[in-house]
This record gives sequence, structure tokens and C-alpha cells, in this order.
Amino acid sequence: MAKPKVAIFKFASCGGCQLQLLNIEDKLLDIIGAIDIVYFPMGKSENLEGPYDVGLVEGAITCAEEIERIKKVRASCRILVALGACACYGGIQSSRNWMPQRELEPKVYEHWEALSSTKCFGIDEYVPVDLHLHGCPVDREELLEVIKGLLMGTRAYLRPHSVCMECKLRENECLFLKGIPCMGPVARAGCGAVCPSNGAPCSACRGPANDANVESFVESLKEMGIPDEQIARMFRRDASTAKPFAKVVSMYG
Amino acid sequence: MAFVLPKSELRRVIDELSKDYRVFRPVAKGSEFVFDEEGEPAMDYDTTILPPKKAFLPPEETMFTFKRETFHVEEVTDEKPVAVVGIHPCDLRALHLLDKVFTGEFVDPYYMRRRQSGFVVAINCVKPCEHGFCTSFDAGPGAKEGYDLLLTDLGDKYLVEVGSDRGKSFVDRLGLDSASSADVEKAKELVEEAARSMARRIDTHGLVELLRMRIEHQHWAELEARCLSCGLCNVVCPTCYCYNVVDKLDLGLNEGARIRTWDSCLLLEFAEVALGGNFRRERSARIRQRILHKLLHFVDQYGEFGCVGCGRCVKYCIKKIDPVEIVEVLRGGA
Ligand code: SF4
Ligand code: SF4
Ligand code: SF4
Repeated sequence: MAKPKVAIFKFASCGGCQLQLLNIEDKLLDIIGAIDIVYFPMGKSENLEGPYDVGLVEGAITCAEEIERIKKVRASCRILVALGACACYGGIQSSRNWMPQRELEPKVYEHWEALSSTKCFGIDEYVPVDLHLHGCPVDREELLEVIKGLLMGTRAYLRPHSVCMECKLRENECLFLKGIPCMGPVARAGCGAVCPSNGAPCSACRGPANDANVESFVESLKEMGIPDEQIARMFRRDASTAKPFAKVVSMYG
Repeated sequence: MAFVLPKSELRRVIDELSKDYRVFRPVAKGSEFVFDEEGEPAMDYDTTILPPKKAFLPPEETMFTFKRETFHVEEVTDEKPVAVVGIHPCDLRALHLLDKVFTGEFVDPYYMRRRQSGFVVAINCVKPCEHGFCTSFDAGPGAKEGYDLLLTDLGDKYLVEVGSDRGKSFVDRLGLDSASSADVEKAKELVEEAARSMARRIDTHGLVELLRMRIEHQHWAELEARCLSCGLCNVVCPTCYCYNVVDKLDLGLNEGARIRTWDSCLLLEFAEVALGGNFRRERSARIRQRILHKLLHFVDQYGEFGCVGCGRCVKYCIKKIDPVEIVEVLRGGA
């Protein structure tokens, strides 16, 4: 088999997920023999045109120009991977979808008349995606598993269930039971419950778990005395375009 | 055969065991307790987050390593056997149930080896825990069998009862004094008193027959709306034994390891098969599976209830989904 040609693209994002790629460079070097990274503007100066075998896309789609570009990217890649919360669900910037653009833009930009933003979405609003790699940023171990899986032609095991499961396996004291609103029960795992393991409540940066029961969870938040406005904010933070989360935001926002 | 151990000498028990075993003991973690291989033993703990089964069936373990090119497989075995000090009677009974699963008709060599070479120091409960209902299944507060040594807290000392030859030779090695009949009597009374003050109970009378008629019941749908399918109840349960198996390759894609991790029947993907088919897509079917497996199917398969009433599932469940309450509802509010 010829070495698969891999391309890494950036849309509206902070670059943190690509940084994770650079962070695993030492490990990547071991695989580098097996893959050819031919397009990676953030990591190298010489970049080749497509077609590519695998495209890793970081970032959300926020304007007409990006909609066109992601379609071209899709057409040039045999396998397309959404890399991180922005590419999966629009990420933190998608929280702006819930405010009128004409109110928001003047607050941030001086020449807001020149902007042509669309609502902020993950890439699969516009193109079919073969694999979602969740997280803000993506988890290095998961990233490596996905790369290995692509090379082997197998599907990497990415935990689709709640963060609580991983949290309990690490024997953390439950924050929720102590009265701290933690999104773990409805959030997708795979991060090793890194936030609760360090005493911080989960913010669901990886979006909803595969069977998230948000109605029942919100009921518990209310029993805890969390105000509606804060509930809306919690669900708006990283993945508000995900359907189960969007439902909560529109109910309480 | 009974002896006494001054409380100040507990450390010596652990040190002595540590020569031959990896010694799991309850230690404080914030306001909770966990079984750990290090730390000061907190013998008056109420319960632990993960059950001590983790010493014999680790949450994650490598079963074997392999090389793809040569088909070479190497089994991974422990260097040192495990000992558990301070296991409560309910969790001890849970090990007995796991023995039925893993050392009966189908032998799991990993579990079997650890159990056969393991050492178990149990401790009776003289103070009922908040969520437990062990008396329902005769699983506590006093231990009956399955230990090498059994402790009962007598205030300034422990009564030490011997349950095996291995236990006896260990006591000889420690050189413990014999217990008086008053000590033995006092321990018995303390455990009986604890049993009397247990507030929670599942009425098991005719339960199996009843549950067979409750396979279809509206309460399962009510639980569907409430349960978060977070899977936490399975993870903390001392009698859950399902695991997932994944292969993990190294970066060269030649060498790898086969790893098993605890699984959970509350998770959507648990009963998923090839091409996305799923035998328990509905959450109600999954929560019913957990409850009926413990209280009905386990009885059908092994002749005993598969719950020991440790109370962890309800204690740690954010929605406070409780087997005691479920059985009451299914009985019709009795
Ligand atoms: S701390 Fe959060 S993630 Fe952990 S068990 Fe509690 S709710 Fe779940
Ligand atoms: S711990 Fe409670 S909410 Fe979570 S899966 Fe179990 S029963 Fe459902
Ligand atoms: S079902 Fe609940 S009470 Fe019964 S053994 Fe499991 S965790 Fe303990």
C-alpha cells in the first residue's frame, strides 16, 4: 500500500487541536514513516495540492467563503475527519448563534458593516463527515488511535458514553453530589474525565453523550437551584448546535 | 478459633502481608473512601466508591500482548498476588457471586489466579451504612464465610476469627493472643445490633415469581424518563462483571495488547452488534436489564440473588434510582 496522503486544514478556530498534533510529534514520527503529511500550513512550509486520502479539519464554518472552501476540501479528501469541538459542533464561538448578529458584531468589531458572517456551525452542517474526533482540544490518545485505525482500516474505539463512567473509573468524588453543577452525566467521554479529576466540573466540550437524557438532567440542575439563565449558558458553551443541547438553550436562554 | 488484635497493631498486619501481597485497604479520599494499595487504613469507612472486586478484576487489565506479523502471543500475569484488608461482608459475598461467574462452568484464568492466590481480611459492620440493605440477601452486616480472617471492631481492639488454613498460619506468624469468650460474645452482639438497626430492606419473599410477572410494567417507562444512562451504577456495583475488550496497537502497528475494561449495560452501545443493530436501544430495557439481572436472571442461572445490598448504586446515582424503591413499586407499594 502506498503511504496515505494526509492534509490538515484550518477554519475558524484557535489552532489548539493542530497544536495537539504537533504535541504528539515525537510519537507521530514513529508513524510518519507510514503516512505522508502533504498539506499542513501550520506545521510546514511546503504544501501540496490534493487529492488527499485523509483530511483532518480543524475549525468551525462561520462565513460564505468558508462554506465554499469546506466543500472543496470535502471533494479533495477520501476520508474526512472533523477535528475537535469547533469542527464537530461549532465550538465556543457558536454560542454567538443565540444572539442577534446586528447586536453582537458592533460590540466586537469597529467596521462591522464589512462582515459577512453566517451562523457558526460544525463542518457537517455543510458536508458529510466520516469521523468525528471530539474535544476542546482533541485528546492526544484518541487522535493517535484514530490515525492508527485509519492506517489499519479499522474503526478506533472512541468512548461515546457519559463522562461519569470514566470519572467513576478514576474514583473521583462526585462534584454533582456535592452541589457543583457538572455536565458529566450528559457529556461525551473520551477525555478520561480530565476536568472532574482535577476538581473542575465538566463543561461538555465534547458535546452530548450518545444517550444524553438532558430533560432529566436539567430537572436535577433546577432541583439544585441553578437559575434558568445559567442552565442555558452551560448548554451554550461548547456544543450548542448539537440537537439535545440546542433544545435546552432555546427553552431556557 | 478466635484471637484479638490491638488496634495499634493493624499496621503490622498490613506490613506483614505486604511482604507477599499487594495489599488493598480502605483509605480516605476527600469525604469518600477508596480501596488503595497505599495509605493509612480507614477501617471504620462506610463504603468505597469502587468495590474491592477491583483487586481481583481490575477496571482495566492487559490480558496478553501480541505480534501481528509472527502471530506471537504472550499472556500477562501479575508479579504479586493480591490481599484485601477491610472488605465488608456485602462485598465479600459479592466475590462469592463473582466466583460463580468466573470460576464455574467457564473459567476466567485471570480472575481465578488472583482469587486462588489472594488473601482476604474481612471486617464485620457494627454500624449500618446509610444506603445499604444487605440483610435482604443475608449478605451482612456479619460475614459468614469466604474470608481468611474476619475482624470485628471491639473498641480498642479487633476480634480476629479464622476462616482458612492460610488465615491460621498467618495468625500464628503474628503471634496473636487468644480471645476470651466475652470478646466473642460481644462481637456477636454488636453485629446483631447492627442487623437490627438496618433501616432499608428488600422483601425477597416470592420476589422471583413476582418479577417474572413484572417484565412488562409501566415503572420501566418511568425509569426511562428519569435515568441518565450514565453507567455509573454498574461501575460501582460489586457484582457487575461485564467487560469490553479492545486491542491496542503500538505505533509501529505490529505489536499490541488485548485490554479489557469494565463495561456497563446502561450504556446505549452495550448491546449494539454489527451494522448498528441493538438489542436494548430503549433506556427502559437497559435499566430493566440491570435490575432483573440482579434479582431474577441471576437466580435463574446461579440459584442466588445477584445483588448484595451494598447500596452503592443508589448512593452514587444522581437521580437516586434505588433497587429498594423499584421493588416496592413493582410490588404495588407494599
Ligand atoms: S463529577 Fe461530574 S463527571 Fe464525575 S461522576 Fe460526578 S457528575 Fe459525573
Ligand atoms: S447511575 Fe442512575 S442515572 Fe446513571 S445509569 Fe445508573 S440508574 Fe441511570
Ligand atoms: S445492585 Fe446496587 S445495591 Fe446491589 S450489589 Fe450492585 S451496587 Fe450494590
